[in-house]
Amino acid sequence: MRRLLCILLLACGVFGPVHSASESVVLVVRADSAVKDLSSVEVRKLFLGVPVLVDGKLLHAIRNRSDARLDDIFLQQIVAMTQEAYDRQILVGLNRQGWVRPAEVGSVARVIEDLYVDPQAVSYMWLRDVEHNPRLKVLRTLWGE
Amino acid sequence: MRVPHLLFALLLLGSPLARGDTWQFEYLMMPSAQAVGTFDRQAPFTQFYDEVVQADNLFTIQRGPFKLFGEYLLSDHEGDLERLQLGWQLSSDTVVWMGRYHQPSSEWNHEHHHGQYLSTSITRPAAEEWEDLGGILPQHFTGILVESNHAVPNGMYLRTAVAGGLAPQLTSDGMEPFDLVHPDHNRRLAGYQARASIHPSEFADTGFGILAANDELAVVSLPTPRAFGLDHVDLTLVGAFGTYATPSWKIFGTWYYVRAGLDYADHLVHDRFSVGYLQVEKRLGHDFTAFGRIETSVGASDSPYLQLYQEAGREKYIGGLRWDFMQRQALTLQLGKTDTLQGHFADIRFQWCAALF
Repeated sequence: MRRLLCILLLACGVFGPVHSASESVVLVVRADSAVKDLSSVEVRKLFLGVPVLVDGKLLHAIRNRSDARLDDIFLQQIVAMTQEAYDRQILVGLNRQGWVRPAEVGSVARVIEDLYVDPQAVSYMWLRDVEHNPRLKVLRTLWGE
Repeated sequence: MRVPHLLFALLLLGSPLARGDTWQFEYLMMPSAQAVGTFDRQAPFTQFYDEVVQADNLFTIQRGPFKLFGEYLLSDHEGDLERLQLGWQLSSDTVVWMGRYHQPSSEWNHEHHHGQYLSTSITRPAAEEWEDLGGILPQHFTGILVESNHAVPNGMYLRTAVAGGLAPQLTSDGMEPFDLVHPDHNRRLAGYQARASIHPSEFADTGFGILAANDELAVVSLPTPRAFGLDHVDLTLVGAFGTYATPSWKIFGTWYYVRAGLDYADHLVHDRFSVGYLQVEKRLGHDFTAFGRIETSVGASDSPYLQLYQEAGREKYIGGLRWDFMQRQALTLQLGKTDTLQGHFADIRFQWCAALF
């Protein structure tokens, strides 16, 4: 019984952090991107369509819509508003100053492809989708369980 | 070279400065259709030129910090390039525009422009009305506009806009702004505008601000026979505006104090009046929003400047109900009662509007 308990504890110790880390949403750019970090305010602005420049270059936001949970995290943690308020903010920004709304992409593979080809692109995804990928760089954790 | 061609050429010439950046495009159409009925008509002019069917088309072509932004309004009585601006994003907070813009000393313009879907009420306040719909203040200019949004101490945000450009001219049909597609060679004078407001956060609707403008309107044909000898009008505008917004309430208003100098060939007529409005919106359940607006004026009845506009209103009361019945589509019913300088009338309107990407 004691041995079983030890095995269980070890299993929790070994697999627990991996599971927890995989349940994180991270901000991602191409590995050679000039972007080194973005504050939470800058990330919010970027995904609301507001122009954000780094070294004089305009960043391009890619909204990852590959699963419903990511959408919930996007609304709650990244832009901090309801889908209705987000829709209106995008319309207002375009109407006022011609802001370009973030591109919406429905699969992780496509998000990764878009990041590969655009050094100014910024997106977010589950950590498990990006870890061990040398062509992408994780800037920060946006949400974690 | 016509101005739209010039702006396109400048965008292409500027694009090498954005080497490595990809081209980005955006398009939005905001169509609307409305039925209008007037009754109790005791005024010769009843603003019946309101567009009944219209499609407001917005587009952006962007490469790096440069963008071309346009708004083309197609309606049952006009097709007009309302805005065409070449923008240079100086920083994340500041953009410089060149082209035809909506004058920034109007918070209503900043919030709504021509987009019916973004406006809860069907009609604009009379003080904010477009030139070709009987407006009394110039709205479209061609020149330079600088817009900015900066964080200031105490976690507040300061939004500013300053602009200067060619002002509309006064004609027998009211004011006519410079037309980029069909430019004329009439005499035009300049106008300068500014707006500054403070907000508790970067994206907050709530905020308070001040505005100022000085616009000179050249007269190219007599607005009314009584204006014989009028050379130009010098308009000076100062005002204040504010918005208080919660998830269920929105209250906003603007007050303008206007000083007008009517410069005749042999004499100058001084004039002053004030116009303003207050609008209240209450979000009800089931995607309904109730709204009401009071528009009033001081010194409008005997204003020589306002006598140049046959449809100028003194007071107006509107109330209505909007139903956002599905995503980005709404139906609105609005009732109004208007006192013009020459009488009064009431109107009822029913509108469908949408925003389509």
